[in-house]
Amino acid sequence: MWLCSGTILPVAGFETQAGQADRGVVPPRSSARLPGPLIIHIRVVFALLLREARVRHGRSRIGYTWALVEPALLIIVMTVFFSTLALQSTSSVEYALFFATGILPFQYFRNASSYLAGAFDSNQSLFNYPLVKPIDAIIARFVLDTCTVLLVMMMVLTFQVLVLKAPPPRYPAMMLLSVVLFGLLAFGVGLNLAVTRRVMPSISNIYSVIMGPSFFLSCVFYPLSSLPTQYRDLLGWNPLVHGVEGFRLGYYTAYRAPDLDLWYLFAWGLTLIFIGLARERAAKKHQA
Amino acid sequence: MISLQNVTKIYRLSGGQTKTIVNDLTIDLPFRNIAVLGRNGMGKSTLLRMIAGIEEPDSGRIRRSVNISWPLGFRGSFHRELSGLENVRFVARIYGQDTESVVAQVEEFADLGPFFREPYKTYSSGMGARLAFGVSMAINFDVYLIDELMSVGDARFQAKSKKAFQNKLGRSRIIMVSHSMDALRDYCDCAVVMEEGKMIFHDSLAPAIAMYRAMNAR
Repeated sequence: MWLCSGTILPVAGFETQAGQADRGVVPPRSSARLPGPLIIHIRVVFALLLREARVRHGRSRIGYTWALVEPALLIIVMTVFFSTLALQSTSSVEYALFFATGILPFQYFRNASSYLAGAFDSNQSLFNYPLVKPIDAIIARFVLDTCTVLLVMMMVLTFQVLVLKAPPPRYPAMMLLSVVLFGLLAFGVGLNLAVTRRVMPSISNIYSVIMGPSFFLSCVFYPLSSLPTQYRDLLGWNPLVHGVEGFRLGYYTAYRAPDLDLWYLFAWGLTLIFIGLARERAAKKHQA
Repeated sequence: MISLQNVTKIYRLSGGQTKTIVNDLTIDLPFRNIAVLGRNGMGKSTLLRMIAGIEEPDSGRIRRSVNISWPLGFRGSFHRELSGLENVRFVARIYGQDTESVVAQVEEFADLGPFFREPYKTYSSGMGARLAFGVSMAINFDVYLIDELMSVGDARFQAKSKKAFQNKLGRSRIIMVSHSMDALRDYCDCAVVMEEGKMIFHDSLAPAIAMYRAMNAR
């Protein structure tokens, strides 16, 4: 029926089977057959990962060393600052270890979440390939940042133990668990920020403003148990507190963290991921 | 080959207006070289993006039994900070192709010289088009979606791309959007005309072009 040349056909009810054979227009077997969706996702995430690694810290010579220099500098500055101010006779080495165990997990969350937030914008041109889905860009950034941070954590803590003679970590598995839960939260927050940025790019600025004071409200340079009860109860609502405290509890032999609730942190992460994925799915239909 | 079933796509514009791209459209696109005609803003590019699977319809289904390219066109598919070479590697990787062989083919075809190793943001639009064309030629698809790509580049490059495409057309087909009727005549033997949410198939090109001209004259 579609051979009625030039006739304006009603679009519905169109048939193509007739006449196709006599033109010899049967699609050939393609050499670029696509494998299953999971293989494609893995392949795409891997390609994005290599791409992200290439441009992550600009093309500057410093590049990746920045990932190590940034937390190291922060630890040094805070150690010097507090050692000078210190009233008690706490040694700088003890300060350095205490700040390291706070700054490392906290910065992981803060940097990863804002890095994930930009995943859609900076990969926009690549979504023109049907195989590349926005969620792949988030996953690639997440994997890259997490691997980098784990490496940095190991380097900083190894330095503390070997050079500064700090005690070795007591329960590395507990520390890893805290990092994983922080990772889930960072993924959830980053995903939601990325989805929001499509309609409201300024959300990242608002987020930076929120994350500024959170450095002081997340037990980065004091233990939760050192606070008066009413502040302790209040800060307990901040999920970041539990990630930092969990990390420390894993490191120190005699760390007191009676208010620690890792389930609470886990619940935040899971809920935000769930909401983010749902929003992303809803947005997919209507993106321009 | 590509079958659209009850596909509806409506853009919601800011200010509460809506723009209907297609409305409850059911059509089977044959495995032939198809021109897509329609006035500006009728959603030709959106149609290609839906066929490619980049955008989903609001409702309805699109079934594809063939391997379809991404829409080849001006709309950047390359990362600005990465070199042409790195961009090519990326595409080769996501399509599971042998990276270095694709790179070699594209380098030869696109003829960018030292610019192949410079960031994409330093390219002129002609160079970008050459790179885009080179990459798509290096990966085999059953159907190539072309969004205005043919009309770029100088005469020499046009001749070269035409030759490359003639080789592909032995086993592949194209779905092509262009404002150049000459380009459409060169490649296509049938057409769909898009107008106000509807799509009309024409078995040969000439009447489709006539209809398109009539629409423009209105």
